[in-house]
Amino acid sequence: MAIELVKKDYLFGRGWKSWTPILLLLPGFGLYLIIAVGPSLATAIYSFTDATGIKGSPINWIGFENYDEFLFRGLASRDNIAALQRTLVFSVLVTGIQFSLGLGLALLLNQKLRGKIFFRTLFFLPVILGVVIQGLMWKLFLLPNGGPVAEVFEMFGISSEFLGGKPTEAFLWVIAVQIWANVGITMVIFLAGMQTIDENLYEAARIDGAGGWSLFKSITWPQLTPAINTNFLLNIIGSLQAWQLFLVLIGYKPGTQVLGYEIFAQGFGQTGGVSAAFRQGFAAAASVVLFFIVLILGLSANWFVSRRERKYLG
Amino acid sequence: MKKIFNIRLIAVLLVMALVAAACGGDDSGDSPTTTADGGGGGATTTTAAPVDDLTLTVLIHSQEPMTTFVQDFSDDFEAQNPGVTVDVSVVGAADLATVTQTRLSANDIDVIDMFGFANPVEAYMGGATPPAWQTLVEAGLLLDITDEAFVANYDTPSIEQAGTFDGRVYSVNLGRVVYGGMFVNNDLLADVGVSLPTTWGELVSVCEAVVAAGNECMTVGGADGWPVFVGAYGLLGALYPDQAQLVEDLYTGAVKWDDEETLELWRRYKTYATEMLESGTTGYAHDAATFRYAAGDVAFLPTGSWQSPNMDAEATFDWTYVPFPGSDDAADNTNLFGKYDQGWSIAANSPNVETAKKFVAAFSDPANYQAFVDATGFIPTQPTATLESTLGLALKPILENYAVGFEQYWVDPAGSGQWANGSQGASFFAPFNQWEDPVELATQAQIDLQAALDEL
Amino acid sequence: MTIQTMEQETRVIEDPGKRFPWGKVLSYAVLLIFSVLYIGPLFMLVNASFKTLSEFFKDPISPVSSINFENYTNAWERANFSRYMLNSAVYATVATAVFVFTSVFVAFPIARGLVKGAGALLTLYVVALFLPPALIPQFQLILNLGLYNTRFGYILLFVVNPIGMIILVNYIKSIPRELDESAAVDGCGYFRFVWSVVLPLIRPAVATVTVLHAIGIWNELILPTIYLTSADLYPITRGLIVFEGQYGSDWPGLAAAVLMLMIPMLILFMFLQRFIIGGLTSGAVKG
Repeated sequence: MAIELVKKDYLFGRGWKSWTPILLLLPGFGLYLIIAVGPSLATAIYSFTDATGIKGSPINWIGFENYDEFLFRGLASRDNIAALQRTLVFSVLVTGIQFSLGLGLALLLNQKLRGKIFFRTLFFLPVILGVVIQGLMWKLFLLPNGGPVAEVFEMFGISSEFLGGKPTEAFLWVIAVQIWANVGITMVIFLAGMQTIDENLYEAARIDGAGGWSLFKSITWPQLTPAINTNFLLNIIGSLQAWQLFLVLIGYKPGTQVLGYEIFAQGFGQTGGVSAAFRQGFAAAASVVLFFIVLILGLSANWFVSRRERKYLG
Repeated sequence: MKKIFNIRLIAVLLVMALVAAACGGDDSGDSPTTTADGGGGGATTTTAAPVDDLTLTVLIHSQEPMTTFVQDFSDDFEAQNPGVTVDVSVVGAADLATVTQTRLSANDIDVIDMFGFANPVEAYMGGATPPAWQTLVEAGLLLDITDEAFVANYDTPSIEQAGTFDGRVYSVNLGRVVYGGMFVNNDLLADVGVSLPTTWGELVSVCEAVVAAGNECMTVGGADGWPVFVGAYGLLGALYPDQAQLVEDLYTGAVKWDDEETLELWRRYKTYATEMLESGTTGYAHDAATFRYAAGDVAFLPTGSWQSPNMDAEATFDWTYVPFPGSDDAADNTNLFGKYDQGWSIAANSPNVETAKKFVAAFSDPANYQAFVDATGFIPTQPTATLESTLGLALKPILENYAVGFEQYWVDPAGSGQWANGSQGASFFAPFNQWEDPVELATQAQIDLQAALDEL
Repeated sequence: MTIQTMEQETRVIEDPGKRFPWGKVLSYAVLLIFSVLYIGPLFMLVNASFKTLSEFFKDPISPVSSINFENYTNAWERANFSRYMLNSAVYATVATAVFVFTSVFVAFPIARGLVKGAGALLTLYVVALFLPPALIPQFQLILNLGLYNTRFGYILLFVVNPIGMIILVNYIKSIPRELDESAAVDGCGYFRFVWSVVLPLIRPAVATVTVLHAIGIWNELILPTIYLTSADLYPITRGLIVFEGQYGSDWPGLAAAVLMLMIPMLILFMFLQRFIIGGLTSGAVKG
């Protein structure tokens, strides 16, 4: 692809000077092609081979066999499709809850309250700590034998194995930790949006006799549109590709994997057992499947968001 | 690839030139960022040592006290070989395969820890994906050490069973471990007034007595998942003493996970997972379980013999290690099942092949090897070495019954579902996973396996 | 100037009547419940770090009876945490700086339609948002460039970020074109214009992108496993997980190690939080 200047729109000189924007664009764009686009295209090619990723191993072209195995072969396909469903459920729950909680916290902290900077900092803190520390803290907090949450649960007569127990239970705890860890960003973006809303709008509405809920519905919500859209997209994309907490909190265990983890485990020999095989071609096929799902979801979310934007902002 | 690199370099240079030239004498204060990039990259891109010296890179998985031993040994090796620096990289057991793969591909490793050896795939396995070890050999990444003198220090079975592929030797194995057994707190049994159980029935009643006296029967590192089924390998071994045959029979259909006979195995798995193990083990990692056990109020710890150094260090009570009494017949409960643990291989493309050989040869020296065995509690693979620890004494009378267990033979057939590996069945039961009913689980395990076998 | 927006005026949505402030009491109640969820795990960590191993396994949650710093000294001796911190800081700063610097010069011509097919280029970035990380070919690429297990190679992985690019493009679109014209009339060159006129104007967006990107690098766990094998090069995430693999059973030691890592991070965060949260605040909503 040739990158060319649109000469008539360019105001900063003629002749060699008109090359400056192109030359300045090239490093950024070139890096992008090399680091992101190129490898992604190569993934698609890899997915049609039996590559192991080990140097010196022969690579054979095997057509759609990886896809066939991933989606249809034996009962491994059942597990793969379950992982796919789990990825979607994870994404929907995380996006929905994180979005609502973040909005709720932002509304609370947007009032005149003592200590709101403290609260804001506290809720943002896990973002800075990173996934390993988040994981350690919660493994400790959720110890089934005498951990604090276990003790509280016991008071209510509930018992749980938390992260080491039944897959659905462990899965729900990972969702909780994921939201706990990232709701801070969502909240801060909402807070930012709220501060750009013109106070006069509220004043005018109050004079008309509007109360809390109708103020929110008629002013805050529509005015928040840019923040809503940013959060919505960040949450969807983030949650579809987030799986590192699964690695830290649960490890590779039947009935808990999401697709991102499955891809990593297959490609880099972490499917449990230290003698696991490396199957990078197969993992690449799984990546491509994930890509199409994320793309479809992402584009429909994007469509939804821009329609909303047109509706509210014209 | 080289070409791309050059284009990128040129592009970066161009930008830097433009920063300097454009618009003449720019007043921006942010330009140091670009130099920081150059500095950050340039300073450490190459870690190559001066020409005369060399750095030998050794990769091991982390498992105390083995890790400390290898590090100490490497220090000694450095002292005896001036100019040689040994860089010991320690990675978690789960990451070992990943790092081995990437570092071999990058030609960035000399001596490798071959941990978790699995047999090559057998003909009857159809198109099963070979284990990593086999792939590495077939890709020519491991050095053929058949003719090295140090190979002769090791006993023939270990070389044949855990180091040879297609008649050539690619690694020396450093020790056997037993996993089909359990540690026993003798003091606690004496306090409760029961004797060491030798059959499944006795184990059940001893557990009841132990719990009735206010103690716990068993603990295990349930948070990691695998310690649960490692603890139950003894059950599988007691019921199917010929493990190689069992693997073949499962492939051919002569044995099914939901056979009438095998159903008893699943029932015992369930008893073990839900009744014998104390509650809350899902919170303990593998090593943590040993520390938990060392507290003294638990009768048994079913796990691998490799935990014996931790027991030596931590336990304040009199203990022993016995095969898991999984069978109703006491005679069947004297079999020791285990696996070859870690071994040394040398990277075929290593620029330091000679030094690497020297390192492995020094490690294989009988005196050094004895020290290794003393530190790790491995059952020696050198005929001259002996294991005199508490564990060694406990195993001595039955060591002749040692056999390689299921894990080393089994390869999942492609397309098998996640419940197909019935040797891990104990960890599929609640509280560790979702299953409650042994018959349902056994049926599902067979369905998951059969679906893959049908496509062979 | 962008930072202060947070601290300034606050909007009151509640009823201005002078009755008992139920709304406020309820707000505090909810905030306090959430705070427990955020302080609790932290407190557990501090508490555990002062226990001996056997104390911990006997009773993990009761408050410690005596303060015992042994775990801290042990953890400090076992791993080179100061080095890991420094590495993480270098990776995050350098990669973010390179990314922002190169991206501005991509975002501007795309936003202005200065290059042919600007729309298609933008689409390329949007589609890339959804790409799963191409771990495997990327690994082969870095390997073949001879950049495996080097700082340079590792940083290279983080010099692109499609979502950051999209935020920049959208923000630049909000800057009036008249500015370009007047700058051109004044005889300013392209580079100087973008660098010293456009860049300051889009500072809120740059701040947002910088923060999001740097946090991503800071938290990355998988890539260091694949690309960095020398302990000298480990970022904190990798250093910690190796430490955990090695001393996984030693919960109190682990807790001490984590806390020692957290303290400099917390101090850094306290200094930077106005910038970090302020950056998100002023920029993200425009994107």
